[in-house]
Amino acid sequence: MSAQVIPVSVLTGFLGSGKTTMLRHLLRQPEFSRTAVIINEFGEVGLDHELIEASEDSFIELQTGCLCCKIRSDLAQTLQDLLRRRDEGRCAPFERIVIETSGLADPAPILQTLMTDATMTGRLVLGGVVTTVDAVNGAGTLAREEISRKQVAVADRIVLTKLDLAGPTEPVLLRRLEAFNAGAPVLIADHGRIDPQLAFSAGLYDPRTKSTDVNAWLAQETHGHAHARHDAGITAYAIVRREPIRAVALTLFLEALTEHCGNDMLRLKGLVNILESPERPAVIHGVQHVFHAPAWLDRWPSDDRRSRIVCITRRVPQRWVELLLEAIGEEVADVRR
Amino acid sequence: MSGVADDLACELLAQSLVAWHVTGSVARASDGALVIGGNRKDIRIDRAPPHSMFRWTVTVDGRKRAAISLVAVLRQVREALDPGYAASRVRIAVAPLLPSQ
Repeated sequence: MSAQVIPVSVLTGFLGSGKTTMLRHLLRQPEFSRTAVIINEFGEVGLDHELIEASEDSFIELQTGCLCCKIRSDLAQTLQDLLRRRDEGRCAPFERIVIETSGLADPAPILQTLMTDATMTGRLVLGGVVTTVDAVNGAGTLAREEISRKQVAVADRIVLTKLDLAGPTEPVLLRRLEAFNAGAPVLIADHGRIDPQLAFSAGLYDPRTKSTDVNAWLAQETHGHAHARHDAGITAYAIVRREPIRAVALTLFLEALTEHCGNDMLRLKGLVNILESPERPAVIHGVQHVFHAPAWLDRWPSDDRRSRIVCITRRVPQRWVELLLEAIGEEVADVRR
Repeated sequence: MSGVADDLACELLAQSLVAWHVTGSVARASDGALVIGGNRKDIRIDRAPPHSMFRWTVTVDGRKRAAISLVAVLRQVREALDPGYAASRVRIAVAPLLPSQ
């Protein structure tokens, strides 16, 4: 990947779960000194930006509505403006962007915007999704609010907040978090204080090393069994294949998966061994029906050259996904014979 | 002819019904066709003859349609069994299929 690629991290979490408090702390850390921040609040009058101490030239508040449902184009425009200002030297040369979503935001459309806007391709890359969960009200919120479950399900890192008020973390909350997203490590923020590297090191692209950490990005789902004991039908599992996959088969597979699953494919991310590109694996990621253009790594990140595709779904059986990929692979191979 | 093994095609169809939350079962007929039963539609899936430009034939309530691939078969079966089905089309940002050398 180019050294100019800037990771965009999404900080999400339900209303009052401590996103702004954590962001305020993070921006005081040296590692986050070169960070541009986009904050979206739901409502007529935004307050969160008043609570954030950041240089004004790299700080933008979107007030026109909830980021996920009204102003996707505004987000794309804002990101383009930020890049232009950076390129022209009109703002600090930030090395990462953090988007703090509204507490009521469905993160999926935001991720989709980051993945698909052609004008951003090659400049920005999804740097990971961090979701805050209030330890006091989190279990109830997860039980009650679909948006909250979705915010947790797509997270690369989950951060528990307000533990000082909750006391020992309720086992029921941890069970729920594991049920919705067993692959995301659960971290703890103490009054917003958290190690930035722990919270934001889950992305595909690490701005410190200017390299990719695919294994961290794919997290624990690839290490074994499916996490399928979920009361809301949300499951996470990994499809692992030793044989390389033809590029056309992968495309057909993603098309079929999207066609039949639609919004139930909450998130898909993977490292794929493409037959036609044996030395340069493809990184794929999608949210619902939208997929990022594949990123091609310069080399394999480890000796493990198996394709690993992590799926976070709502009631999409793992076996069906496995069979679909296998059958399409066989059919495409037959055409080539 | 499709290169997909009979067992694989049969299991994929059976699992597809599960994935779509559609009732029914899939069986192999004596002539090798795959037959979906247990619902209001009579569906039969045959492999197309050799040298056909299509690979499968899907017959729904006596009406035959050719299918160029297993993906097309799945689409036709889903449309037959799930009246509320509306396919989502994938959107992929513009990029080369393979990396530039």
